[in-house]
Amino acid sequence: MRVALYVTCLVDLMRPSVGFAALRLLEAADCEVVVPAGQTCCGQPAWSAGERAAAAALAKKAVAELEGFAAVVVPSGSCAEHMRKVWPELLADDAHWAERGRIVAERCHELSSFLVDVLKFTEPPADFAGSVTYHDSCKGLRGLGIKKQPRELLAKVPGLRFDEMSECEECCGFGGAFAVEFGEISTQIVDRKCESIAAVGADAVVGGDLGCLLNIEGRLRRRGDSRTRVLHIAEVLAGGSGE
Amino acid sequence: MTAAQPLTFHARVGEKVRDRRLQQALQKARPLFVGKRARAVAALAEDQLDFEGLRDAGEEIRNRVLADLDVWLDIFEERARATGAEVLWARDGREICEQVIDVARRHGVAKATKSKSMLSEEADLNAALAAAGIRPVETDLGEYIVQLAGEAPSHIIAPAVHKSIDQVEALFAREHGRPEQPRSSADIPAMTAEARAVLREHFLSAEMGITGANFLIAESGSAALVTNEGNGRMVTTLPKVHVVITGIEKIVPTLEDFATLMRLLPRSATGQTISNYVSLLTGTRREGDGEGPTKTVFILVDNGRAALLGSPWQDMLRCIRCGACMNHCPVYFSLGGHAYGWVYPGPMGSVLTPLLTGLENALELPRASTGCNQCGSVCPVRIPLPKLMHRLREEQVKRGLRPRRERLMIGAWAWLAGRPKLYRWLAARAARYLRWLAGDHATIRVFGLAPAWTEGRDLPVGPGRTFHELYAARKRA
Repeated sequence: MRVALYVTCLVDLMRPSVGFAALRLLEAADCEVVVPAGQTCCGQPAWSAGERAAAAALAKKAVAELEGFAAVVVPSGSCAEHMRKVWPELLADDAHWAERGRIVAERCHELSSFLVDVLKFTEPPADFAGSVTYHDSCKGLRGLGIKKQPRELLAKVPGLRFDEMSECEECCGFGGAFAVEFGEISTQIVDRKCESIAAVGADAVVGGDLGCLLNIEGRLRRRGDSRTRVLHIAEVLAGGSGE
Repeated sequence: MTAAQPLTFHARVGEKVRDRRLQQALQKARPLFVGKRARAVAALAEDQLDFEGLRDAGEEIRNRVLADLDVWLDIFEERARATGAEVLWARDGREICEQVIDVARRHGVAKATKSKSMLSEEADLNAALAAAGIRPVETDLGEYIVQLAGEAPSHIIAPAVHKSIDQVEALFAREHGRPEQPRSSADIPAMTAEARAVLREHFLSAEMGITGANFLIAESGSAALVTNEGNGRMVTTLPKVHVVITGIEKIVPTLEDFATLMRLLPRSATGQTISNYVSLLTGTRREGDGEGPTKTVFILVDNGRAALLGSPWQDMLRCIRCGACMNHCPVYFSLGGHAYGWVYPGPMGSVLTPLLTGLENALELPRASTGCNQCGSVCPVRIPLPKLMHRLREEQVKRGLRPRRERLMIGAWAWLAGRPKLYRWLAARAARYLRWLAGDHATIRVFGLAPAWTEGRDLPVGPGRTFHELYAARKRA
């Protein structure tokens, strides 16, 4: 299957290794992977700020770039939720874009859900020595119903022991601009997440959204935890390192 | 109406986050709320009842009412009058106060006992009563505590959830005229008994009882009252006058509908299958009744609600005030309810406060959300709270209520994101800059461009190259 990899603006800037891991995974699953050259951002930050016009403009730009693909894969539940759920709503009143937006939106998939639900791929190429726990990010979980997919995939990784933490479905407090606009609240919330992580004592906390992971890792390090690794699920499943 | 104080949410955040006693109280309460509700919902399944189906039914009942609210209100008014009650209409908080005081004067009331009423908080009724020489006495234990403290409730069903036992003990010692004692949770029954003894005198001497209503039932003209302490029964049966103050949206068509909503309300609120007391109050004392008021007055309040009908926020009027949204809100449990600045806290407050007091008075509330939708996924009547908050954000932009600087920054970023080549070039520079700031470390500890991030967290950074740079280089290789 010919798929577009939409790496997301955050992975592009903050952690390219996640993009390469997603690429390797999709190739391991026999996909022909294209990285559309013009991609920047799905527009969610503008939408969250209430800037509907700007969000619609970025949605159109992305829809035009992604129209030719059977599937668009995103290593983020949050971006995938925006693409699948918000794009059609943003473009619904625009005769020229409504149908195009709806079709592309349906073809957008969060990475773990694409692997499990669409490709039925369950043989990740990596192994992992140690224990991991999983943070369910809000938009993936409550927006797209992603819960069992990452766990199914992690269960297939040789050497990996899965330890569920308490309150794994609780928000980590990231929330995009919220983390900066309301930094103190955000820190307060992520502290509870860090306590759950500390209590389960896993070697790594894994998630499907880089925003949450930067927030969690940032707080863990500030609290003096330099031991717990914070990894995107693509990095665990693809194995290897970096690019 | 107590106006929300503009632009003070941010100012209150720091104070609340650093209040250790408040934080301890919240941390104690959160798992209780969440755990009890979860168990109550799970137990439904054991009885072959489907919570999701009940939510659908609850949503449908509330939507049915809102679609013809004027008709249901007419029916309610007619039926309530037929049972001997008086029905008054109040446009706003000021009118609530005027009407209650007028009723009180007509009946020579010097003291009014109150069972929980959030509408009376909207009206700041206690202050108005006191100014008119009528003593209001809150009789819900939590409300009693916050009244002694001179505070507002911090939660719609657990008004004193922010108070520690020590704080309550200090208030009781002062009010009840006795020395303070060291207290632990084992003393709660004794402290409750003490309050009960004090309140008993008030129950017996008050000439007026004031309550809210969880629902108004159109077909019977009744008010439904859902309580746990029994104080509601005292307030509605002992005084000669009973005043019910409630929002116009609280109507349900039939007793059958009420029964359906009662499967949702206590489970969502306190995790109970049913509350200790459920009262259906219809009309006045009849011939042969041993107790009950000789005068019943319903004050049906708009206070901004009617304007929400047919608006993008109509769904909010489905709310049955269970508190589940705040009980599952990470922001609420970081701050407590007082940070929200007006009567209603948590997600429902972040929607209602700007809608009822003016968007410009609560600019921060619709943005003080991570968008996690923990609220929307527990709401018993499926109010899409994050969506409503989002529509408020869009409305702020539409009405020009956002700061110029913020709009310019988002505009510039969006403009840039529409120009991939320029965007790539700048992203590459930004990646190098972040790497340089981090030096030999994996994270940045102080980030001048977003100091609020690094106040509480490090900022983990990448290798100093963007994905697209590295990918292009790999393709060339």
